[in-house]
Amino acid sequence: MELAWYALLGLFFATYLVLGGYDYGVGLLLARGATPEARRAALNAVGPFFLGNEVWLVAAVGILFGAFPTLEGELLSGLYPAVLGALAGVVLVTAGVQLRSRPRAGSARAGWDRVIVSGSVLAALGWGAVLGGLLQGVPPTADGHVAGAGHLFTPFVAAVALATLALIAVQGATFLTLRLPATHAPAVARLARGLVPAALIALAAATVLGLLSDRVRAAVARPTVAVLLLSALVAALLVARAALGRGRAGVAFAATSAALALPVALIGAALWPRILVSTVDPAASLTVADAAASGPTLSLLGWLALPLLPALLGFQAMCWWVFRGRTDGRAPVYW
Amino acid sequence: MDPLLLARLQFATTTSIHFLFVVVTLGLVTLLVALQTAGFITGKPVYERLTRFWGQLYVINYVLGIATGIVMEFQFGLNWSGLSRYVGNVFGAPLAIETLVAFFLESTFLGMWIFGWHRLRRGVHLALLWGVALTAYASAFWIMVANAWLQHPVGYEVRDGVAHLTDFGALLTNPTLTFAFGHVVSASLVTGGMLMAAVSAWHLIRRTPDFALFRKSLRLGLLTFAVAVVFLIGFGFAQFGPVGELQPTKFGGGADRDALIAEWTAKFGPGDYTPPTLSNVGLGFMILIGMALFFGILVVPLLWRDWIIRLKFPLWLILLAVPLPFVAVILGWIAREVGRQPWVAYGLLPTGQAVSPVSPGLMLTSLIGFTLLLGTLAVTNWVLLARHAARGAHDPALGRPPAPDTDTHPHPVFA
Repeated sequence: MELAWYALLGLFFATYLVLGGYDYGVGLLLARGATPEARRAALNAVGPFFLGNEVWLVAAVGILFGAFPTLEGELLSGLYPAVLGALAGVVLVTAGVQLRSRPRAGSARAGWDRVIVSGSVLAALGWGAVLGGLLQGVPPTADGHVAGAGHLFTPFVAAVALATLALIAVQGATFLTLRLPATHAPAVARLARGLVPAALIALAAATVLGLLSDRVRAAVARPTVAVLLLSALVAALLVARAALGRGRAGVAFAATSAALALPVALIGAALWPRILVSTVDPAASLTVADAAASGPTLSLLGWLALPLLPALLGFQAMCWWVFRGRTDGRAPVYW
Repeated sequence: MDPLLLARLQFATTTSIHFLFVVVTLGLVTLLVALQTAGFITGKPVYERLTRFWGQLYVINYVLGIATGIVMEFQFGLNWSGLSRYVGNVFGAPLAIETLVAFFLESTFLGMWIFGWHRLRRGVHLALLWGVALTAYASAFWIMVANAWLQHPVGYEVRDGVAHLTDFGALLTNPTLTFAFGHVVSASLVTGGMLMAAVSAWHLIRRTPDFALFRKSLRLGLLTFAVAVVFLIGFGFAQFGPVGELQPTKFGGGADRDALIAEWTAKFGPGDYTPPTLSNVGLGFMILIGMALFFGILVVPLLWRDWIIRLKFPLWLILLAVPLPFVAVILGWIAREVGRQPWVAYGLLPTGQAVSPVSPGLMLTSLIGFTLLLGTLAVTNWVLLARHAARGAHDPALGRPPAPDTDTHPHPVFA
């Protein structure tokens, strides 16, 4: 039962990174100094999906609170600065994307675009730091709470945050390749291809720093799985690069999406059965089973989720289907 | 500085801002459903124009509802980890249900509704708005289930110092839930109706074009307000019964309160178990405003033969009264939440035990940072709302037929 909920939590958070990833990726690319028209076209390529992407985060935290209350409290307060940064980023992007086209003046819109860019950077770095923080463990005190925030500031966490930023930029560019009018696609495809090596370098740096870090080595209980999933991540990026070169935007987008979902699987599998690993005393680590809500709560939520999940996925799929294909002059523009 | 105080201040600030936007969301979406449905049935173009104009304001307002809502959701874990640790098994369930059943679908539907104009069939497009409205109500319901549980914990047992769920049905039949939910929904309709009537009044006073359109929304807003305000006051006073019985320390004294305080002193040790006077002040002023709004019903007969527009001063009254429902909802939530102190879950978990062991410096950074961020966004949002309300209904961006981008002006304009 706990495993099922843990998998569901992972699924929701990974889907958020994939879908929110292209929101923030497109947001990052607004910084390229493109024309106002190009920036607006990019945001409206995300258009109808934007509101439906962010809800995966809200639902993931809802599942975290309902099914893993102890983890919710310790994880968010234990990684306070990282969560704070990510949250500020999410808020800035949410407000920026939805409000940027409400003023008519070009200067106001450019100002909002800067808000979106900084929000996207914060969100990408923040979620990356959360992932890195989980992989290197936290120092809980005797009463089981995580105290202080200094433990988060290590080269490894910084490298993971930068790698996440690079992955999100690749995801954004690949999404635009898939979604913008065919005439605009080759330019963003070249950009996406160019960003892949940057992501690979950042990933390599994070891997090396992780191997050098005692905390990461101690926290990873299943090194083989971790190495396998990391190789899969690298493979996904290489596939994306090759597919972008051949104009296969759909394949490339599937590959970059996998690259953003894999870190979540990697962390879940590498730390299992623990989730918050104690760097002070291995016995004080929080396991998935300890973190889960008690039986009655899980079964109540389970009976509820069973019929609900197909509906949630169905309506999301409806949104993807209705607004499928490339944007063109006849597509609605609102953001 | 005391982390407890900082955490409480941050929650109060975020929730207050959140509340100011979600009452409008809930009220306006109900009116939008009425407008779009009327348009679907009658086929009259005026209803489509009304839906686009009010829909635009609704969508702008919605932004801050999400932004503050996300910050609130995270705050439970960031600042109140004790809450999830001790009562998360029970309190977390309604919140998880809210995100999955309600908010997830609400936002998905709204995204499709915004971009679905001229693209989806009219029936599907209308159904999406109905979906947005129904899930918005579901969202309010589940949040109130969670809040009612903090007011009066039920359906649980404590084992090893941690609360476990025993009876979920008890959460749904919580006596502190039913009337409070009715009260919140009525307050939303009062606020939404008042806002609609006031914006229409402004256009009618200024004699802008679209007289017929704003006359229609003035009537709809005012009638909604008038009906809802009766329910608002009814549900408000109906709560004194259960609250007096279940939370005797909240609004006053008497033997019940003394008995309960003696019981708590025996169980939790000596301490100050009476809430700050702020809650009673909030209650008093809220009731005053409620009564003032109630007299607003007197304007309704003036709708006959448009006397309300011809006399003009009733329009000014409506316009000037717009801040009242907003002030009242803040006071109301202060009365309910501050009146619960010093408990986070009444009689079960003291507020001091729920706060996260986070350093005061970090907590202060978070408080200042998010207050500035959300405060600035809130003010910006209201400015945008006011400008769009003033701009009138001739061509809102929402629902504009797809065409090459004509919305940008090369030079800054101050409209």
